[in-house]
Amino acid sequence: MENTRDTFYVTLRNRLAALNPARTMVVRGLVRPGVLVEENELATTFQPVNVFCLRWTGMRVDPAGALPLVTQVCEIRYASDGDADNGGMDRGRLLAAMDGELTAVVGQHPRYAVKTNYAGVSGGVAALAMGTNVFWGDLAFGAVTSTGERVERVAMVEVFSYQEAGEL
Amino acid sequence: MSTTTTGLSAVIGATAPVARRVRAYFAPVNRATGVPTIFDAAQLGGFALDTPPAPWVDLGWVTGFVRKSATKVGALRAGAPAIVQTQVRTEIEATVAMEFESWGKLQMAVASGSEQMNLLATATVAAANGSGGVAAVAVPLLALDSTATSLGVGAAAAAGFRVGNLVAVDVDYAGQVGFVGSGVSAAYVTSSAAVGGDVNYVRRVSLNVGRVVGIVAGALQLGGSLIAGVPAAGMQVSLLTGFCDREGGSFFQEWSGLFVAEGEQGDRVIYHYPRLQAMQGAAENASALATSATLERMRLAGAYRALPVTDTNDGATVVCFRSYLPGAMRAV
Repeated sequence: MENTRDTFYVTLRNRLAALNPARTMVVRGLVRPGVLVEENELATTFQPVNVFCLRWTGMRVDPAGALPLVTQVCEIRYASDGDADNGGMDRGRLLAAMDGELTAVVGQHPRYAVKTNYAGVSGGVAALAMGTNVFWGDLAFGAVTSTGERVERVAMVEVFSYQEAGEL
Repeated sequence: MSTTTTGLSAVIGATAPVARRVRAYFAPVNRATGVPTIFDAAQLGGFALDTPPAPWVDLGWVTGFVRKSATKVGALRAGAPAIVQTQVRTEIEATVAMEFESWGKLQMAVASGSEQMNLLATATVAAANGSGGVAAVAVPLLALDSTATSLGVGAAAAAGFRVGNLVAVDVDYAGQVGFVGSGVSAAYVTSSAAVGGDVNYVRRVSLNVGRVVGIVAGALQLGGSLIAGVPAAGMQVSLLTGFCDREGGSFFQEWSGLFVAEGEQGDRVIYHYPRLQAMQGAAENASALATSATLERMRLAGAYRALPVTDTNDGATVVCFRSYLPGAMRAV
């Protein structure tokens, strides 16, 4: 399951970095493309803005077939307070820009990626391409919510993969 | 970050193809000789979907792709009481239906099934007619000055065109009978009288159309290649405003069809119908946009009956080829 999550995240991250290199964030002192996976970061109540936050929620497994088909639900949260120089009055435009970027990177063809095992990367081991592809469905955008000067949206996408033999 | 691959000797369990949608391609059938365009999946099955091999024309994504076998298998019985001894195919038939996600000349032509007419710009005084009145005088192409994407008409004539114009490019009708239309047989003319001797009739039905996207040095630059390729001598250019098909008519369009479902695991299913004829009149299906009951999307609906060809490998008479290209290292 984790390989699927990591693969989807890295795919989104790389595509976003190519589409809009200016959308970055600083995490633990490092400048990174503006996509993070909540469960991979330190727990915090801080809601970053102008970046995409991935949260894995639902999951189901269809055991029919030669390989179990795993469906995982990914919530993608993003918010904007607008630009202080504009008094926050551009928060809608900035959120719309993120709508467009998310649509582009999720909808970009191919809408699959080779499932890759990144478990050893932090230890210096190269990522390992696996035998199947991770693929995903269409984005389902939730309504914009406003809290004070902040506008926020949650989009959901189902991410599919096959559980390969021996994969945990 | 570098990436290595797993041991490639490992065979992965084969899964059912999961495809997002189906892409449709059509190619002309030579109606005069009855020769369809054959797609060889062994040679070309892996082609890039955006760049189909010639002469296949990309008609875009289709939805609701449904193919049905109407082949009947009968039982041969013998003895008393009769016991099935063997089976025979008593009829071979197949149909295929889909809705096109795009509207264009070719989509309308293949979906209409009969003549698909160009609404040629009319002469100054032309009596009203359902598929367009008497057309304006066409503009001749200059010899050796045109390509499949550029129409040399000369500076003076070019002044009569604007960027954004639609044009039909084809020969004059000069009394010929039989199939007419360059690149694709667009209609069948039984006699000159039947078409009123209309010099513009071939351009009226031709599928050799394009959109003017630029006008440079007396040449009309087109947004895409003409389906008939480089214009032949004698072709002329007519302005058109749109397209028209009719319920009725006696002509059956016939096309070679190719439908590709690309799997998410690198696999691919290819359906090839060498000869397809429309089995319904022009139709479209409307579907409400998700949140508005007052907005409907209209998709061209096409339904086709497959006609036979002979597979030269074994002489079998067939109407459809389904090819499957498995993903890498899948069990077979």
